[in-house]
Amino acid sequence: MRIGLPRALLFHHYGECWSSFLSDLGFEPVISENTTGDTVIRGTVVADNEACLPVKVFAGHLLELSELSDAILVPRVVSQQRGMKACPKYLGLPDLARSMDSAMPPVLAPVMDLGATWNRWAREWYEIAVKLGVGAEKASHAVRKMVSSLRAGITETVEPTPSDFRVGVAGHLYNVHDHRVSLGLLDRIREMGAEPLTVEQVPRRLVRRELKALPRKIKWEFENRIVGAVLHWNRAGDVAGVIYLNSFACGPGSMIGALIDDELSREGSVPLMTITLDEHSGETGMVTRIEAFLDMLRRSRIDTAPGARDKRGGGGE
Amino acid sequence: MNINAPRVGSMQFMAKDFCERAGLGYVDSPPYSERTVELGVSVSPEHLCFPMKILLGSAIEALEDGADTLVTVAGFGPCRFNYFGEIQKRILKREGFEFEIVVFDGPRDAPVSFYRNVRRVLSGSPLGPVRFLRLLPLTVLKGRCYDEIEKQAMALRALEVEAGSVDRAAEECLSMLLPAQSRDEVEEVRCAVAERFQTVEVDKARLHLRVGLIGELMTCIEPYFNFDAPRWLAKKGAVVERSLHMSDIFTPMGRNPVFGADDREIGLAARPFVCHGIGGHGQINVAAAAMFARRGFDALVHFAPFACLPEVIARTVFSRISNEFDIPVLSISVDEQTGREGIQTRMEALTDLAWSRYRERVNAEERESVKA
Repeated sequence: MRIGLPRALLFHHYGECWSSFLSDLGFEPVISENTTGDTVIRGTVVADNEACLPVKVFAGHLLELSELSDAILVPRVVSQQRGMKACPKYLGLPDLARSMDSAMPPVLAPVMDLGATWNRWAREWYEIAVKLGVGAEKASHAVRKMVSSLRAGITETVEPTPSDFRVGVAGHLYNVHDHRVSLGLLDRIREMGAEPLTVEQVPRRLVRRELKALPRKIKWEFENRIVGAVLHWNRAGDVAGVIYLNSFACGPGSMIGALIDDELSREGSVPLMTITLDEHSGETGMVTRIEAFLDMLRRSRIDTAPGARDKRGGGGE
Repeated sequence: MNINAPRVGSMQFMAKDFCERAGLGYVDSPPYSERTVELGVSVSPEHLCFPMKILLGSAIEALEDGADTLVTVAGFGPCRFNYFGEIQKRILKREGFEFEIVVFDGPRDAPVSFYRNVRRVLSGSPLGPVRFLRLLPLTVLKGRCYDEIEKQAMALRALEVEAGSVDRAAEECLSMLLPAQSRDEVEEVRCAVAERFQTVEVDKARLHLRVGLIGELMTCIEPYFNFDAPRWLAKKGAVVERSLHMSDIFTPMGRNPVFGADDREIGLAARPFVCHGIGGHGQINVAAAAMFARRGFDALVHFAPFACLPEVIARTVFSRISNEFDIPVLSISVDEQTGREGIQTRMEALTDLAWSRYRERVNAEERESVKA
């Protein structure tokens, strides 16, 4: 039996755990290909036109899988940490998938609630596995393995590469790390001679410390991470500027966008540029803006570097 | 201390009533107008949703009128509204307003901050915390009575013999409710309200449609956002029932007395379409749509602000509800660019469709009875 996993949204966070869960059960996980322009167009046609870009991309991946698999796994992610909430779009994702196209294969939607104790939600995964004809022992073994790998997956951080001209790229992983959705933002920045630093490269410890200073807690886990990372970069000054990548009609993203904007508009803050993505965003417009932003950062670095005035004076004579 | 609370349905009424009895000052926000929208849009970031922009504009108007404490409700839902209090504070401070803001979360979610907020509001009142909190149930009860009057008016308006008689009755009932000071008095008012509505002359035999009004809280309740849809629909011969009422939200234990179904029933009704809470009022709207359809309503109108998170999901589900129950559903997004005429044309198309379906059904029934 082939079970589809759309390479979109939370797949970028938990995909490995989910696909190894499926192969542990003895199924063949079918993961959709990387997003292409075609995926976006097909998704945009079927999804609600006010949905955010990642949801439309998700719809495109679902369509791709509908012909290739016998069932599709769309876990309902309720929270990622204790006391946290997920964006309503993740909560309603399986319902969205079910009502999108009547020709879809059945959607498996077990609840994943990392904020609650695991025995309250892991049962649903077990029941689904048993319903699909897997033996009880094999199923419970697979579920246990997945729970422990989900827990372990949360704490990992990637070491940043050393560089003296870094730009922070803040945004949801499913936007930043999808080459088509982000229009190759990370590669573009590298091509222009700067080193992009992404949100998951900031250790959790530092993120938590920054978040403590906020007067009101943010209740969305990913957005917490983004805000914490941006505030950390701003305080530590280890990036020359911050690019905030947001998708149009993203709800939590719009709120923290306003928050970041307010925090980084104070005197002495790191420069901030917000890029809003939707299905109409073009690569050229994006490149121009990044270029302009990086040029501005370089210039301000030269201006503020020690001895900058002498150099400029020398050039003028 | 001059308090101001958001203007949504009976919320303003409840807040005002509460403050009066607690000896606190209260400043009304003026009714929503183009100025409110302009003010709100001019200060808010582009991507906030429409109700937030309006609330910002409304808060500015209230601050200009002398309010100094904004009281608002946030809650820890997944919808973006839970962070609005903080954004509102930052934006208005940046605009140079001097004020305090008290953001209430549910007492069960955050008991400590709830208590702290009560103390902060209390600093302007001569009452102690216990007596202060005891005032709350009566306020919610009065709000419930307010919503019931509104509900009854929506149900009768399409059948009234003399135009405007239902609105007159509703107004009189509200003025009766205003001075009520105790549980018994509210009960008396409720009896009087029932009697008053009995005296309104209605044409029970008149053919009418039944239309369910569902949607996001602000756009569904406040006439400014939905271009007074209930009254407009009544003119087209539709009896209207609404899914959301402000006092239902404040009634503890999820009982929803005005809507008439508790949270468990709502979960069950929504289950085939949305089997988990999706934040905001997405789930209750899906449930209400299914319930209205099951009760044989002729059409559903769904209002949501542009890009509202829970309602976008609810809306994708409506196509399934529409197919399954064979009921026309019109979903309308509202934002600062929306015009009255566009909305009314679409609602007109919906009522026309509903009427033709209704007549067809009546004719078919007649043919059946003749045959028999």
